[in-house]
Order: sequence, then structure tokens, then C-alpha cells
Amino acid sequence: MVRLMVTTLLLFLASPAYAMHISEGILPFDWAVLWFAVAAPFVALGVKRLNGLAKDDLAMKPLVGLMAAVVFVISCMPIPVPTAGTCSHPCGTGIAAILVGPLVSVLVAAVALLIQAIFLAHGGLSTLGADIVSMGVAGSFAGWLVFRGARKAGANLAVAGFLAGVAADWLTYAVTSVELASAIRGNEPFLPLFGKILIAFVPTQLPLGILEGAMTAGMVVLLQRKRPDLLVRMRVTKGGNGVAAMLFVLLLAATILTSSPSLAADKWAGVDEAVVEKVAREHGREARRPLIDLGEGDLQLFAFLLAGTAGGFAAGYYWRMLVSEKRPAGRG
Amino acid sequence: MHHFSRYRHGADHPLTRLDPRLKLFSALALLSMVISCKGFAFPLLAAVMCGGLCIGMGVPLRLLMLRFAEPLFIAVMVVLLKLFFVGEVPLFSVHVLGLDIIGHREGLVDGLRIAVRISGAVSLVALLGFSTSFTDLMGALAWFRVPRTIIEIAMFAWRYLFVLLEDAQVVYHAQKNRLGYAGYRRGLRSFGTLAGALVIKAFDNSQNITTAMVQRGYDGTMPLMRHRPFRPGEVIFSLLFVLTMGIIWRM
Repeated sequence: MVRLMVTTLLLFLASPAYAMHISEGILPFDWAVLWFAVAAPFVALGVKRLNGLAKDDLAMKPLVGLMAAVVFVISCMPIPVPTAGTCSHPCGTGIAAILVGPLVSVLVAAVALLIQAIFLAHGGLSTLGADIVSMGVAGSFAGWLVFRGARKAGANLAVAGFLAGVAADWLTYAVTSVELASAIRGNEPFLPLFGKILIAFVPTQLPLGILEGAMTAGMVVLLQRKRPDLLVRMRVTKGGNGVAAMLFVLLLAATILTSSPSLAADKWAGVDEAVVEKVAREHGREARRPLIDLGEGDLQLFAFLLAGTAGGFAAGYYWRMLVSEKRPAGRG
Repeated sequence: MHHFSRYRHGADHPLTRLDPRLKLFSALALLSMVISCKGFAFPLLAAVMCGGLCIGMGVPLRLLMLRFAEPLFIAVMVVLLKLFFVGEVPLFSVHVLGLDIIGHREGLVDGLRIAVRISGAVSLVALLGFSTSFTDLMGALAWFRVPRTIIEIAMFAWRYLFVLLEDAQVVYHAQKNRLGYAGYRRGLRSFGTLAGALVIKAFDNSQNITTAMVQRGYDGTMPLMRHRPFRPGEVIFSLLFVLTMGIIWRM
């Protein structure tokens, strides 16, 4: 009880809560290597997945790069946490996973974390593996699975987005607590320290997770209102509202119906035979035999080809005169 | 949020001109030594050395303090957690609200050890960040065979990070001026709108970038900067430095 109170006391001393990433140097060498080993297969799968997507769509790599920039910017934004009276920042991997899928989202998180580690001292190079596992792997997969599950269960976009944001945030912190407790416990047993660290995160992260859920829901709803095409393209929602599919079915049905066996005569006469020749015959002006009869077939086609070539050559040779050149003044 | 920039500090400093591959190699070697060190002296030495070099390069002290604020906050939290929760030998006790809060000797020592390690490691990475441009660093990572796709994404992210940050700032100030952050509910809605607007901008920009790049011959892979050949003097200096630090680490 005393220790719990001390923990609570320590937490309320907090100024800005930056506990999202494990800080540089906090993990001993062996733990740092272990978390790199855990993160590596997910990053490799993310690279493979992205390369596959980029083969079909060249815009995928720039898109994922920009998503990494968005995650970076979002995770730099201060967000007020009412219970702790401080500002913290969301992780943003929930929305990334919803939009680009969990494997590519791991890559997005890895890049955002790398830049933050080197140029902001948020997280670190030695803790990059651990941070990728907590924020990238756990956050992305939790967000994506919960979103898909909620959608399958019939939840609307806002509710599914909210649940995904909450799950991504809370699971990130749960895994961060595991990583921290296992690294700094020394000779102490793991579970009590894990519990303490988890409790230490509660005043900030419990409300922050809810806030991140609300933020994720807001983002998804905004996208649905303003740019539903993006959600369709990223396969978050299915395309259209059924109208396009209905029109397609109607068009297909009309085509099939009109291509059914005709009641007309077997052979339709052309305009020349049915109208022109008929009128000419009525007026005693039937067609005469041509002066040069090339007949039908290849010889006639060859004659047309020769005439076309000669005409084309002449037009090409004199095109300047026809189009742009003006005759000098005083001539003709 | 804005205590970083795309510009290097101390452009004339010898460390800034050092080959980025050698800088990265030395930094990673030193980082491994710092985080695997059990004592106090070596991480402290790294912290003092790297902090001093940062100041020598002309990094403003305020920027340095801002960079260290988060890790130092975490270091303090770790020390307090260890002090009150780990150990058997009491160091002091405080009577607060009818409760005896006991600080332990072993916990304090353990906590301080981690805090010193954090300081050393953060100083080292801060020095690397201040003395190396992003493109140089990405080129060095590519030389160390980090997957090309990661490098390309990082380059895209870095290029458009500042554009998105500026956009975010503009939207944020516009929302704030219109009382968009008056109260938690409105603030939250405004924040969601801001984040959503950034995602839309990212999508649109990615399409425009792709069109522009395809017109310039982009086929799915980006060319990276070529490195100049290693200078023997720089290589020998880096190896000697790492070797010396290794000997100190072993002592």
C-alpha cells in the first residue's frame, strides 16, 4: 500500500510525460540485442510486403514515407491528459496500421523512431529494437486486429477506429512495461516490478489511450467524410455505396438482352443497296461498270495503298504551303 | 517539438567533416561499450566528452538542454523507482501523511548506474545527430547494408517532415485562434481534425511526388549519394579512438 502511494506520488511529480519510447541507454547490451532480434523479422516482413506493393503501385513508397512523417508529427504533438494534469503524446501507429496494414505500419514506426532517436532523443539507437517491438509491432497489430474485428462484428468506422486507437496505445504501454521491467529489474523478481511500472503508467496512459482512441476515430471519420476514395484505395472500406455496382448489373443485363436472337431477316441490306441503288434504278441511272476494273481483293487494296501513299507524300511535301507559309507580297 | 532542425551545427568543426561511415561506426562501437558497462566512470566519461564536443561545435546550450530533457526525466524516474522499490539496506526514511517511505542503498546505486548510462548514451547519439546531416547518415546506413527500402522511406519522411510540421503548425494556430482547444472535447475534436488533415495532405503529396518523380525517371528505386573514398588518416584516427575507448572500457 505504501509503495503504491509512493508510486502515485512520483507520478504526479511528472512534468511532460514522454514515456512512449524507452530512452537511450536504459537497456543493457544483451537486452538491447534481444529486442533487435525480436523486431528484425517483423521489419523484414514489412520491407518484403512494401516491395511487393510498390511493384504494382509506384506511389506506395512515397506514401509510406509520408505516413512515417505523419506518425512522427503526431507523436510530437502535445495532448493534454486531464487526470495527470500534464501533456503527453499519442503514438499514431493505430491509424497507420488501419491505413497501410500492420506489416507496413511496423516499417512506418521504425522509420519514425529512427528519426526521433537521432534528432530528438525520443527513444534511442540502442533501444530502437525494443521501441519497434512495443510501438511498431504491438501497437500496429493490436490496432489493426481490433479494427478489423470490430468492423467484422458490425461496428461503424468511428467505433472501430476508437477501439483500434485505444488498443494500440494500451498494448504499446503494456509491452513497454515488460521491456522496462525485464531490463532494469536486476536481481529482483520480474512480476512485481512489471506491476509497479504498469501502475506507474496508468494515470497518464489510461486516459491517453482513450484520447488516442477518440483521435483515431476522429481521423477515420474525417477521412470518410472528406476523402472516402482514400479509404477505398487503402481497402479500409469497400468501394461505392452499391449504386455503381447496380448500374453495372443493369448495363450488363441490357447488353445480354439486346444481344438475344433477332426477329429481323437473316441479312440486313446496306444503305447503298437498300436506298441509293433503289432510287438510282427508279430514275434509270443504274451503276455502270468502272473504266478500270480492279475487281475485289488484294489488287484493289494495293491500289488504295498506292493512292494513299502518293496523296500522303504530296500533302507532306506541301504542308508548309498549306498551313503556315505565306506567299511573299506582290506575288500572285 | 521543434528542438531539431535540418541543419548541421559547426560546419567547420573537424568532427562534422569526418566521413559519416566512420562516425557511425565509432558511435555504434562506443554506444555498445556504454550500454554494456557495469560501472559509473566510462558512461560519465562519454557524457562529458560528447557534451563538451557538442558545446565546442557551437550547439546552443538551450537546445542541448531541451534534447536532454526527456532522457533525464526518465533517468530521474528510474532512480526514484529503484530507490524506493529495490533493495534491503535502508538509506533514509521519510514520514509523509502517516506513512514511512524508505529509500534503499542498493536501489539508489542501481538507479544511478542506469541514469549515468542514459546520460552517456544520449550524449553520444546527440553528438552524432548534431555533427551529421540526415542524408549523410542515410548514406552511411546504406553502406552498412541497411535495407534500401528503409533508407528510401526515411528519405521521403525526412524530406516532407518539415512541410508537414509547418502545415500542422498553421492548422493548429488557426484552430487555437478560433478556440478550437477550449475544453477537452473541442480540443480532442480539433486534434483529430488536424491529424486527419495531415493524413489527407500526405496522401495527396505522395501522388504529386510520384507523378513528378516518374517524369524524372523514377522506377521504384531512388539513387543515393556516393561516398568519397576513405581517407587513410580519418580511418586510422577512428580506429585508434575506438581502440583507446575500448581499453578505457576494459579497465
